[in-house]
Amino acid sequence: MTLAAILAPLLALCVVARGMGFLPVLGAVIAAAMLVDGLAPLQETAAAFVLLFSIGPVWFLTYYQQDRVQERSGPAVPFFALGLMVVLLLASARSGVPLFPAGLCVVLAGLVAVTYRQAMIWQWAGLLTCVNGIMLAGVIEKQVMVVGVAALAGCVISVLGGLYVHRVMPRVAVVRASGRKDADRKGHPVEKRFRGDAPLPSDPVPAFGAERGAQEPPPRSLPSGETTEDADKPAPKAEDDPA
Amino acid sequence: MTVPVFLAALAFAWPLLGAVVVMTAPTMRSREVAVWMAGIGCVLALAVFLFPATGAVAAGWDDDPVQRAGRVMLAFGLLLTVLESRDMADRFLRGLPHVSTALAGLACVTPDPVVGLGILEASLAYGVFVFGRPAGQARAGWALVRTGSVGLFLVLAGLLLPSASPSAGLMMACGIVMLAGLTPFGQPWREENDTFLFLPFAGAALLLSMRLRPHGGEAFDTALVAAGLASVWLTACAGRSDGGLRLFRTFPSALALIAVGARADVAALLFLCGWCLAGGSRSGRSWAARALACFPPGAPFVGCLLLLSVMSDWSWMFTVLTVAGILCAVVRAVPAGGFGQDIWPRDVAGRVACSVLVVTGFLVPLAMMLGAF
Repeated sequence: MTLAAILAPLLALCVVARGMGFLPVLGAVIAAAMLVDGLAPLQETAAAFVLLFSIGPVWFLTYYQQDRVQERSGPAVPFFALGLMVVLLLASARSGVPLFPAGLCVVLAGLVAVTYRQAMIWQWAGLLTCVNGIMLAGVIEKQVMVVGVAALAGCVISVLGGLYVHRVMPRVAVVRASGRKDADRKGHPVEKRFRGDAPLPSDPVPAFGAERGAQEPPPRSLPSGETTEDADKPAPKAEDDPA
Repeated sequence: MTVPVFLAALAFAWPLLGAVVVMTAPTMRSREVAVWMAGIGCVLALAVFLFPATGAVAAGWDDDPVQRAGRVMLAFGLLLTVLESRDMADRFLRGLPHVSTALAGLACVTPDPVVGLGILEASLAYGVFVFGRPAGQARAGWALVRTGSVGLFLVLAGLLLPSASPSAGLMMACGIVMLAGLTPFGQPWREENDTFLFLPFAGAALLLSMRLRPHGGEAFDTALVAAGLASVWLTACAGRSDGGLRLFRTFPSALALIAVGARADVAALLFLCGWCLAGGSRSGRSWAARALACFPPGAPFVGCLLLLSVMSDWSWMFTVLTVAGILCAVVRAVPAGGFGQDIWPRDVAGRVACSVLVVTGFLVPLAMMLGAF
C-alpha cells in the first residue's frame, strides 16, 4: 500500500470530472505505484504500457481540434463513481481482501466515465482509465495473463480511438500564408490556427482569379503536409450522422 | 502427432485458411469458395466432436464435450451466414465471418478463459476495423468498441476479485451479459452485417461463461439467471412493436444465459444452436421466428424442456417465472396473422438451418442418454 495507490483513484475521479487532461498524471501515478513495490519484468513492462496508453493519446489529440459536444450529464457523475468505489471497498472488506483495491476503484471510475459521458474523447479517456486500472490490479495480484490481455485491449482501444479521432475530428492546421514568410524570418512565431476560423486582420487579402494565381502559389501548396492530407479525406463532418 | 490432435489443430486453423482463400478469390467465385470452405469446416468440427483428443494429449486444452459441440454450432452458423450472403466486392468484409468464427472457436478452447477474452477483444477489433472502413460508420464502430470493451473490463475486474465472492460474480455476470449482446444491456444491433461478427462473438461469450462459473460462484449464476429473466420479461412486455422484435432477436441467448446460470449446460448448447442458426437478423423470417419461439420440432424446444427440468430442481420460483416469461414472450411475439404457412423454407440457407435445428434437437438428447455429455 503506497501513497501512489491511494492517489490513483482520486486522479481517476478527476478524469471522470474533467476529462482527458488528467490521464497523463494518472498514468504516471499508476506507473509509480507499480514500480514502488519492486522492479520485476512484469512491473516494468506494465508501467511502460501504462505510460504509453496515458501519454500517447493525449499527445495525439494535440493535433486535433477540441471536441465540442455539449455534455448533458450532470455534475453528480463523479460522486456516483465515488459511491461505487465505497460500495466496492465495503464488498472487498466483507470478502476478506487484505489490500486496498486501488486498481479496481480506477476501473470503476473509468466505467462511469464511459457510460455517462457523451463526448467521444471523454469516453476514450474512460476506457484508457479502465485499462490502467486493470493493469495496476493485475500487477498487484501478479496475474500475468490479465496484464497481457489488458495491454492488448489498451492497444486496440488506443488504435481504434485514434482512427476514430482522425476520421471525425478536424485537424489543427498550421496556416502559413506566403505573406507571412518574411514575418517568420523576422522572428515572429507562426500562429497555430484552427481550420475554419475567421482570418486575422494581419492576413494578406486574397485576390481573385488569375491575379491570385500570379501573385501567390495555390492554397493547397501553402500549408504543410497535414493540410494536404485533409484534402484527400472525405468531408469530416460526413461522419457525424448517426448510423 | 496422433490423428485426433491433427484434426483438432486443422479444425482451428481451417476458418483462418478459409478467410485467406475467400479474400484472395475473385469476387464472382468468392461465394462458392466460401460455401465450400465453411462446409469442410463443419465436417472438421463434427470430426473433432466425434474423435476428441483426450487425456495427456489435450493437457491444458479444453476437451469438454459441450464446448466441442458448441464449436460445431459456430461452424454451422458460419456456413449459414455464407449461404445467405451475396457476392461482395469488399475483400475484408468477405473474409470477416471466417475470421470471427476462427477467433471465437480459439477463444473457447484456450486453457485460461482470460486468454479467451483477449482473443475475443482481438476479434472485435478486427470486425470494427472492417465495419468502420466505409464513410459514415466511424461512430457506429466506436459504439461497438466501447460496449465490448466495457464488458471485457467488467469480466477482468471480476476475475481479479476473490473467487466465489458476490462482487466478483456480479461483475463477471454483468460483463458476460454485455459481451453476449443481451438486449437491452448489450451491443447495439444496427445492420445485417453485424451478424458477420456478433453471431460467433456472442456464441463464444456464452461458451466462455460456462468456463467462468467456478470463479464466479453462486452470485454469478444468480445474476446470469436474473439478467436472462429480465430480458425474457422485457421481450414479453414489448410485444409486437419494433422494440419487441428487436428484443426477440436475442431471445435464445437470454434463455442460454438462464441455462448457464442454472447449470444446465446441454440446454444452453441447444439454445446456442438456436442462436447461431436462427438468431440475430434472421429472426424476422417465419421459420426462424418459429424456431426461436421454441415451437417443436427444433433445438430450442428441446432446450426449453431440459432447462425447465433442471430448473425445477434448482429453484421453484425461478422456474415459474421462466415458464410464465417464455409463454408471454412467445404469445406476444407471434405475428398477428400467425407465422405463415411456409414451414419448410424455400431458400437453401433456410432449409439447411431447419434441418440442423431439427437434427440437433433429436440427436443431443439421444447423445445425453448415451452418456456423451
